Amino acid sequence: MDSRLAMTRYTLTTAFGRGLSANRAGLLSGRSVLSRHILADGTGCAVGRVAGLEGVGLPGALARYDCRNNRLVQYALEADGFASAVAAAVRTLGAEGIGVVIGTSTSGIAATEAAYRSPRFAEHSVLPADFPYRETHNVFSCGDFTRRLLGVRGPALVVSTACSSSAKAFATAARLIASGVCRAVVVGGVDSLCDTTLYGFHALNLLARGDPRPFGADRDGIGIGEAAGFALLGPADLFGKDAPLRLAAAGESADAYHMTAPHPEARGAVMALAGALAGAGWRPETVDYVHLHGTGTAHNDAAEDLALTTVGLAAVPASSTKGAIGHTLGAAGICGVVFAALAMEENLLPGTANTRVPDPRFRSRLLLSGESGSIRRALVNTFGFGGSNCCLALAWDA
Amino acid sequence: MTTYIAGWGVLGPGLPDARAARAVLLGERPYRDEGVRPPVVEGLSANEARRCPTSARYALDVGWQALRDAGWDPAGVVTVLASASGDLEIADKNCQALARSEIALSPTLFHNSVHNAAGGYWGIATASQASTTSLSAYDASFAAGLLEALTTVAPGRRCLLMAYDFPAPAAFAAARRISAPFAVALALTADRPAGPCASLSWQWTRCDQAVVFAGMTDAALEALRVGNSAARSLPLLQGLSERRATTLSWADAADMDWGLCVTLSFAP
Repeated sequence: MDSRLAMTRYTLTTAFGRGLSANRAGLLSGRSVLSRHILADGTGCAVGRVAGLEGVGLPGALARYDCRNNRLVQYALEADGFASAVAAAVRTLGAEGIGVVIGTSTSGIAATEAAYRSPRFAEHSVLPADFPYRETHNVFSCGDFTRRLLGVRGPALVVSTACSSSAKAFATAARLIASGVCRAVVVGGVDSLCDTTLYGFHALNLLARGDPRPFGADRDGIGIGEAAGFALLGPADLFGKDAPLRLAAAGESADAYHMTAPHPEARGAVMALAGALAGAGWRPETVDYVHLHGTGTAHNDAAEDLALTTVGLAAVPASSTKGAIGHTLGAAGICGVVFAALAMEENLLPGTANTRVPDPRFRSRLLLSGESGSIRRALVNTFGFGGSNCCLALAWDA
Repeated sequence: MTTYIAGWGVLGPGLPDARAARAVLLGERPYRDEGVRPPVVEGLSANEARRCPTSARYALDVGWQALRDAGWDPAGVVTVLASASGDLEIADKNCQALARSEIALSPTLFHNSVHNAAGGYWGIATASQASTTSLSAYDASFAAGLLEALTTVAPGRRCLLMAYDFPAPAAFAAARRISAPFAVALALTADRPAGPCASLSWQWTRCDQAVVFAGMTDAALEALRVGNSAARSLPLLQGLSERRATTLSWADAADMDWGLCVTLSFAP
């Protein structure tokens, strides 16, 4: 019996575009699709915006869930036949057997930001009683919307651990399946552009002035992107016959050090990477590729490089996609999973868009441009505020 | 698999700790809403304690209570933090700042605005590097957190569940009602503690009408249970206080009849 979990279907929508084909083409192109955004104080930054959300219409029964974040959820779910695949799973497994675990950091808080700017708020200083807080701003909104749109009735929850959210969603989903609560889980991640994160990272002086250059010698911060992605996760022996992608293990840890700065010896990241390797039963030299968290900030990239070196992954090809589509925050985990899967499909070791010169102090093997290469084992790194770390081990059983 | 409750902690109006809550829930003294004791922030440096947001204050208070009750060191204890709405005081301040013509967010308020801020401060306060997961399922957050905790526990793998919510500021009062602050923590383990202890068996199932909870006998406690997602734990705390075998269920949402069903029993 194969005790690992299979991802029978997956989909991703990012600044590259909607669905797998757009993201495959984007990954193969090696290009960045970030655009310029000017903040109120005149500061320029790079953002990875998903085009087309303005035209997305939610079903009438779910109209109260309307906000940019949930439009992005729907836009992504309806790509690549993903929603239809879930409907088929509902018919064979039953709606009650399928859970929903979504990762997000800010959910639909942009709806509240807009409400605070309205003339009505300026006059009364309170949100009206009919303001759809539960269906938009609340952390659970995107998970609730996902399950209602898909018609699944298993347990639903939203993991919100900043930038590790949707990687940790896979770990929670795996526990729901291992315990017998769920036969399959719709795992996903979503975060959309909002002023809380744009101005928040600006306040922390973590936004790149130009394009973000992950692991670069001249890196100076992140560019924020938006994305939504989903995977249908279930026992490999039940429905993994035609689906080669496996979740082999998840390594989770806490830095227990600082709210925003990584531990200087990267002890939390080391623990997460070592946990994923141990859980999968892999020696580090057998890993073919690491999808880096690679945000582009001075300290995060240095800590990640140190972690890779410490765990014995320094020689393994590694790259970051955040120079291409931005840091999608709570969606970073699902982006990493789907980009790694696309790389496995295409026999491609992806490059690191925007980065020209790697930091000469780093010892890990950063790929600047894409090259051909077979990937059977990959790691996906995510590290978030609050010192929350998660590393996923993915296998390709073709 | 049987899961044992090695300890618990609570903080809410008129319920300053587990000992006082036990007396109220056993009917030894009447329930009176005497306000909420300020949460104790333990383990943080003076600087971190000053920056520590409300969410983390509640989590730290009940988390340490439960660890002490269990006699556990925090190192290696995996944590699950469940909150329906997180910290709306911070969201209010940030959204106010974003609505001004000259926008300046506070860096501290920004990093404290993440839903896992309490989990981050827990790690800093305890130096525990064990995995920590923060989640929400709106008003079903306590049961969702309990489910995550129960699926996390394994032989040699202890888990501390902390659930908390507190009232929204004035700007949100009409859009999101949380009646009073409430926080609860449960120390869960698969390894049987020494001596008499409470245990749980559980499943995710259709919630049988026979085990749907009728409500707390005391009207004020029932209002608290309904008014705060973390206080949905009160029937479990009542069972723990009475040391009475009981079956409880938490339907996932008003229009979903499946949910977490737990049978509480006691080993001598």
